Amino acid sequence: MSRLLIVFLSVLLSSVFVQADHHIPNLGEKATEFKDDGEEAHKREGMSHAASLILQRKMHPELLLHKRDKTLRQGVRGGYVQLKKCVECHTSVDESGEFIPVNAPDQFCSTCHQKVGTSLDCFSCHRTTPAEEM
Amino acid sequence: MKELNRREFIKSTTVATAGVATVASGISLTTFAAEPKETDPVTNEKRWGMLIDTNKLTETDIDDMVNACQEEQGWGEETHSNADQKPSWIKKVKVKDTATQRISNLALMCQHCEEPPCVDVCPTNASMKREDGIVLVDRHLCIGCRYCMMACPYDARSFVHEELTNQKEHMPRGKGTVESCTMCVHKVDKGEQPACVEALNGDAVIFGDLLDPTSNIHQTLKRVQSTQIRADLNLNTGVRYSGI
Repeated sequence: MSRLLIVFLSVLLSSVFVQADHHIPNLGEKATEFKDDGEEAHKREGMSHAASLILQRKMHPELLLHKRDKTLRQGVRGGYVQLKKCVECHTSVDESGEFIPVNAPDQFCSTCHQKVGTSLDCFSCHRTTPAEEM
Repeated sequence: MKELNRREFIKSTTVATAGVATVASGISLTTFAAEPKETDPVTNEKRWGMLIDTNKLTETDIDDMVNACQEEQGWGEETHSNADQKPSWIKKVKVKDTATQRISNLALMCQHCEEPPCVDVCPTNASMKREDGIVLVDRHLCIGCRYCMMACPYDARSFVHEELTNQKEHMPRGKGTVESCTMCVHKVDKGEQPACVEALNGDAVIFGDLLDPTSNIHQTLKRVQSTQIRADLNLNTGVRYSGI
């Protein structure tokens, strides 16, 4: 009986791990290219790679919130934190060469947001793909 | 070392403080004169404005302005909204003098008031005026109550009634928020002119800094007669008209 229980539990657990493995974030077209080339895009933008990754994972809502108020209300343009820059690198391209919206299921933004169950409101107004001229 | 008595000590420190103050004021004067950078917040040393000469502006010119605005900001493609719901950031208005039958055509958009009624009524502080006089909606805070649309004497604001995709990168727009002319703030911050001004040849519409005595708009406003629409409301608009 106890052997059966162990088998049952291990099956349960393994299904959990498989589920977790599904959530490797989809980095997006340009970001994957940068990563494959060994280039550290976030570092190039003036932050240390490791720090910026940890910082971005934990703090991207706060960073974007801070910048949005400065940009809209005080007219401070440019700088490192810009939503359009995130979108520029982290969108993927489908078979026909069209950009997939970054908030679509299993794309860069939504993988984590789905996992932790938080809503993603940026893209009810903001553009979800890089601009045409880029 | 010489012993100082109280009077001598006060005398010497006063001289020293005065000396530091003179030097410091000199330094601060030079820093204020430095060119503003992109990363500096905008200040009220500038006030952006526009002068629209209705004598020079033809009906096709106004259509060009409207098209340029739609192209630049990405509005006007709303398929699920009816005619009353569709956004219009800039519109063509015909004014007829009942006595003389003289018709003038105006391009009417947000007048970027110095005392904007839309900012006064906004319950969430979403409707706001930048230091340089440009009136904007902060959609992050807008709850879509539309008080500002009611308060605006120029009917300049619109409400987005449907979900949108493929917005312009510089102009996020979405369902449930209010929007209006931004005086192409994203271009102005880069030192360019608003799209509707760029769409016209000639000087039917002049854009510039109302406070700068060397600017074309300041000098023209000094020379020709111009008016504010509903000047009786004392809103001190940034958009002025001549020829009406």
